[in-house]
This record gives sequence, C-alpha cells and structure tokens, in this order.
Amino acid sequence: MGSTKDDQFAMFEEKVKRTVYVDNLSPQVTEPVLRTALDQFGTVVSVHFIPNYTEPINSSQCALVEMKDLKEAKSVISVISQFPFMISGMPRPVRARPAEVEMFDDRPVKPGRKISFTWLEKDDPDFEVAKKIKLLTQKHVAEVTFLLKHHLAEEEKLAKQQQEALKGNYKKYEIVESVMADGTARRLAKHYNMRVSDD
Amino acid sequence: MVACSCISYWRRAALNPDKTKKVKILWFFRSCEILNYLGAVDTRENELFLASGDGVGLANVNPLEVIAGKCNVLCISNDSRNPQPSDEALKRADFVFCRTFDVGKREVCNEICDKIAGVEVKLLLNKVDTAKHVKRTNEDLKDAGGTAIVNTELDPSGWDTSNGELTLKTNDSSLEKSRKENVDLKGSIEKSSNEEKSGARVIEGGNGMAKTSSKQENTSDSKVSLKLKMDSNEKPGKDVKVLAKDVEGRVKSPRESAEVEHRPVKKAKLDSSIQLSHGKTKSDIQKLGLNRNDGDTLASSPKVLVSEDASKAKNVKDSHETKDSHVKKPKLDEKPTKVSNGKNLKASSQICGEVVEVTRRPDADRSRWFKGLPWEERIKNAHEQGTLVLIQNLDPAYTSGEVEDIVWHAFNESCTAKMIQRTAISMPHIGQAFVVFKTKEAAEKVVRKLDEGCLVLANGSVLVGSFATPHLPSKKQTFFGHHSIDKLRHQMQREMKEAVSTSHCSQPNTVEYDMAMEWCLLQERSEFVCKKLFKQQEEEYDRINYLALASYQSGLIGNCQLKLGKISWMRSRS
Repeated sequence: MGSTKDDQFAMFEEKVKRTVYVDNLSPQVTEPVLRTALDQFGTVVSVHFIPNYTEPINSSQCALVEMKDLKEAKSVISVISQFPFMISGMPRPVRARPAEVEMFDDRPVKPGRKISFTWLEKDDPDFEVAKKIKLLTQKHVAEVTFLLKHHLAEEEKLAKQQQEALKGNYKKYEIVESVMADGTARRLAKHYNMRVSDD
Repeated sequence: MVACSCISYWRRAALNPDKTKKVKILWFFRSCEILNYLGAVDTRENELFLASGDGVGLANVNPLEVIAGKCNVLCISNDSRNPQPSDEALKRADFVFCRTFDVGKREVCNEICDKIAGVEVKLLLNKVDTAKHVKRTNEDLKDAGGTAIVNTELDPSGWDTSNGELTLKTNDSSLEKSRKENVDLKGSIEKSSNEEKSGARVIEGGNGMAKTSSKQENTSDSKVSLKLKMDSNEKPGKDVKVLAKDVEGRVKSPRESAEVEHRPVKKAKLDSSIQLSHGKTKSDIQKLGLNRNDGDTLASSPKVLVSEDASKAKNVKDSHETKDSHVKKPKLDEKPTKVSNGKNLKASSQICGEVVEVTRRPDADRSRWFKGLPWEERIKNAHEQGTLVLIQNLDPAYTSGEVEDIVWHAFNESCTAKMIQRTAISMPHIGQAFVVFKTKEAAEKVVRKLDEGCLVLANGSVLVGSFATPHLPSKKQTFFGHHSIDKLRHQMQREMKEAVSTSHCSQPNTVEYDMAMEWCLLQERSEFVCKKLFKQQEEEYDRINYLALASYQSGLIGNCQLKLGKISWMRSRS
C-alpha cells in the first residue's frame, strides 16, 4: 500500500514538472483556445483552469497546461518569457512559469506526512503568541487583498491609457489615409511644387 | 568527533548582547561517530548515545539557525526515572537512546547520571505530556504511586477499617508493554486507635512498600512511601484492595507537570467499583480521565475519599526521590460501574494542550463515493446557507482531504473541504481552504472555537477561521488589456469567424509590441511588489516566533516538539 502511494506521488511530481502555469489569460480563453495556442510548442496533454474564489474579482484567468514532456514545458516557458505572447487578444501578454505542487487540486497526499495539532491552553505562554499570529494572518490577508486591488486599478489605468493611445494612433492613420485618398495631398503638393507621387 | 546527529533537547535561547539568538545544544552521538570507542558493544540501528561526562563534544552554544529540523527521540532506558514508551511510540521514534557516551573518558556507559552539562537529565527522558502518544493511566498510577502519598479518609459512616492493609493493584494483561504493568502497592497501615476522632479525619501515617511486578523497575526505585490515613472506627485486619485496570484516558503524568510546569492540578475522575467483603475493599477503577483545570478527583459515592495531587511535589530536583504528593479527595464509587474505553477516548479528545495526531477519519472513503455538485455551486449554496467557512493559515501543502481530517479531529465535525489552489499571486505562507459544514450551527461553532481558542498545527501555524464571501465568477467580467478598434470591430468579427486562433508572439516593430512591453513592465512591477510584501510578512512572522522563543526562555519547557517544529518551519522558509 505504501509503495503504491509513493509511486503515485512520484508520478504526480513528474506530472508537475512537465506542467506549465499560465496566467494573465482573458476570461474568453477556453480550453481549446489554450490548447491550440500552446500546441505549436509541443503536445498539450491536458488543460486545467484554476478557479478563483478568494481573490477580489480579478478577471484574469490562470491555468495549468500539462505538456507531453519536460522539454516541451521548458520551451513553452522560455518562449513566452522571451516574447510577449498573445492569446485571443492584444496587447496584454500572457505569462508562463513552472507549475508547483500546491497549484494542483487533485494532488495526492504526500506519503509519510503526519499532521498533528494541539489546542493551546489559556495559561500557556504561547497562547498570546498564537493570538498574535492569528491577528497577523488576518492582517497579511488584508494586505494582500489590498495589494491585488491596487494592481487591478493599475491594470485598469494602463488599459485606459493604452486605449487612448490606440485611438489617437488610429485617428492619426485615418487622417493620413483620408488626406491621401481625397486628393488633398496631391493638391497641396502641386501648390508647394513638391513631388509626392509614389514612384 | 563532535558530529551532530540529532537535537532532541535544546535549552533556553539566551539573548546575547548582539541580539542574536543562541541555543545551547546537548549532543547525541550516532553509533558510527563513536565507532572507535564502541568496541564490541551491540547497537541498534537507530540508537543514539547521549553525551555525558566532561569534555569536548558534550554541549555547546550555537546560533539558532543551526537547528535544521526536528526528530523524535525516545529514551528506552529501563531507568526508573524514565516512563517506558509505548510500542507505538517506539515505532514512530526516529531515534532511541538508552546509554550515554562519556566524552571525557570516551567510553559508553549504561547508567544515565543525574545531570549532564548542568541539565537535569530527566528533562531528556520521556515525558508524558510532550509525547504525542497516549499514556495509559496505569503508568501514571505507577508513576503517581511511586511518588504519591495516598491519604485515605473514611467517612464516619464509612467502612470500618483499621490496622489494615491497602493494596493498590494495577492489573493489565501484558507485562511487556510498559503501560501494562502490575503494580502492587501494599501499604501496611498502622492502626489508628483513636476512636474518638471519629470525624472525617482520623489519621495514621504508615510507610508502605510498593512492589512493582514490572521487570523493568528497580526495586529500590519502586519503594514508595505510602502514608495511609485511616479512620478506624472498627476492627483491625481489613484490607483495602484497589484494583485499577484498563484505564484508557489520556492522562498527564502528575510528576511531569510538577517538574516542568507547575500547572494546576489535574482532575481525575475515578469511577470505581468497590467490593467490600470481609473487610476487603476491592475497587475496580474503570476510568480515569484527567483534566488540567481542577485539582480534585471526584466520583459519585462519598464513602471513601482518596485523592492525588502530585503537582505539589517538593523534591523536584532529584528524580530519584519519590515525591510527596498530596492527596485530596477522590471518591470511590461503591457500585461497579463500567465505562467503555471508547467513550473515554472521545471525551479526552477535547482536552487542551493535548497533541492530537491527525489520521484518516472514519468515513473518509465514503465521502468520495459521490462526486456531488461542482464546487462552484457548492460554495455558493453553502455561502447562502451560512455553512461556508474559510480556514486560513494552513500549510499550503495540505490536500483537501487532509483539511477534512484536521477538522474532523479538531471539532468532531464532518465537512467537505477545498484547498484554494495556489496561483502566482497567492501567499506562499498562508494556505487557505473553504470548508463546507452540514449545518450552520456546526460552522458557527467552528468559527467561534477557532476564534476563542488557539489551534496550533505541528508546524507552528495557528488556524484562523472566518465566514468569508467567496468571489464567484460573475457574468459581467471586465478584463483589462485587450483592445480593439471600435470601427474595425464589425469587420473583424467576420474575419474572426474564419480565424482559428489568434495566439502569436508579437514582433518588435509594432504598436502592439510597445504596448505589450508596457504590460510586461507592469507585471514585473507588481510581481516585485508582491514578493517584497511576502518577504516582509514572513519577517513579521519570524519576529513573532522569536518572541515565542523568548517566552520560552522563562524556563518553561513544555511542548518541545512544537517549538522545534516552529524553528524548522522558519528554517525551511528562509
């Protein structure tokens, strides 16, 4: 029984190694999209989206993509970290990194791990410390939540800024195009005695 | 020569002038390290030798950081100071020791002296309290019997016993197991002739001998001074036989508490069956549960009063000595009462300060039979019904099943749990899990208990429970960072239908690339901030744990394993 558990865990660890964690995914990304996107680096074995229940509405998704072997997983990570990689949308790139054991939902119990706990007594000198640790934990969670909200706000800000820039750019190109199209450019060139022909 | 094998005991962390934490470490030797001095001595595979004597390699002061981890070391010495470990504990032990290695003379000796490097050696021996395993009461009876002075007071209306013999018998089936020992305490009781002192307090002191039939005990150590105070209203020649057997409670050794913590006296309940025939009192102690908060031992019948109060031991320093203990009034029941052992176990699972090992709960496999609703819906439903609890500060490595086991053992509630999967933005040191209970009351109970009490896991983290609002994916989601040009959209849509997938790497000469770089910058920046925050948070944790160590300095050496767990935990994260 013990050996099968060990085997199971070893197999799981092997699976973790060839899995890529991808985040900054748009909510529109579905399994087939991700599968085809990463199929160009190797064979995608499985895709598993990590649900998000605790963090404030952070609409980006993250997923675990299991590749066929370790080499493929490495190549996915190296390409995505070297070049901004777009999946169903621009210009926010996705991020990839090696997966970790804790990211898996269906992970087997690590063999040999023993859990024990104790209820501290009120007169235990550690009781106060434990109370402090509890408060600290709550504080930390609040801090992280705040930080994530802050990040989300920054993302929004950047997105707005980029949207403006994009609009401006588009307008600029439109003007240029219209100037060329309706003959204004040619007339002006004639007026200033310049050559604008495309030769 | 001084190679570290294992640290089972560490002394107070002294605060140095340079504010670094130091621990004094008393070393153990592995047999391979002292091979040259071993000669032909047989050693067990996992046997250690406690350093003793004087010289290099006995003990030294090290920075706290040298402590790499914890291990379970048991003393298997037959020494009378050492409560014998159970088979189960023995199996679990990483190392055992029963002999010492004199670093001065460089030889192995079988005796363990009283003090090693200024440390009371009994602190190194097995303790009932800190050990995880359950000590049977018999042991404690033996322990207490070895140290206790039993006062037996009889009611005026009680039985007539004088000039009798009190036999305290602890019966059990197997001698091999240390917890099952036969202890016969025969106290010859001097007659108290005073009939006029017919009140509750007619007293005679007598010194008795305790005979321990256990092979492991030295007779010299098992001598017990037994003072019996008997009310002699009647004839001499009565025997009181107390039979204690099969006691399943989880009991703290009074001796240990006296030595180490001076905790308040524990309360023992004795339900015993007493037979009185021909001046013989046979009491069958079925159950002995100890609670720390109380010093009294109570049972239902007011006829015989016996009590133990071992914590008022005066001679704590010398472990050879038997301790005075002061007996208060447990009452021995007259009628035979039988209490099943199982019940007792259940009751004791709530006791504070007990280290409980989490195993699979009984119905663990059954809960896997049905797959049930998807978690999203279950969480949503549970939240609406108020049965959803968010437990924080778990070890992120735990699986959902293990969380369920912990809840089962800690609260006796069954539940379904889901560990929150780690993502790139989740905290590395705080594991969280959603736990769905069957009823709202159960959920409230758990949250209240976690709030009022402190549930400490072996790695030193304290669980936090709260009703939390889950962030369920709503339909209306905004994802920042993907843009399109409005005018082109309808045109694009037509093309999109034919397009397979638009994933690609962007080229460096495009607007898209520039914008992507801005995103990368933002991502890097937020990741850096997160890392920084996590680091800071861990430092805060460590500071609190250092405080814990400081409080530890005050000489309270309890729950040693828990403390070492904290340190190893800190180490693993730094």
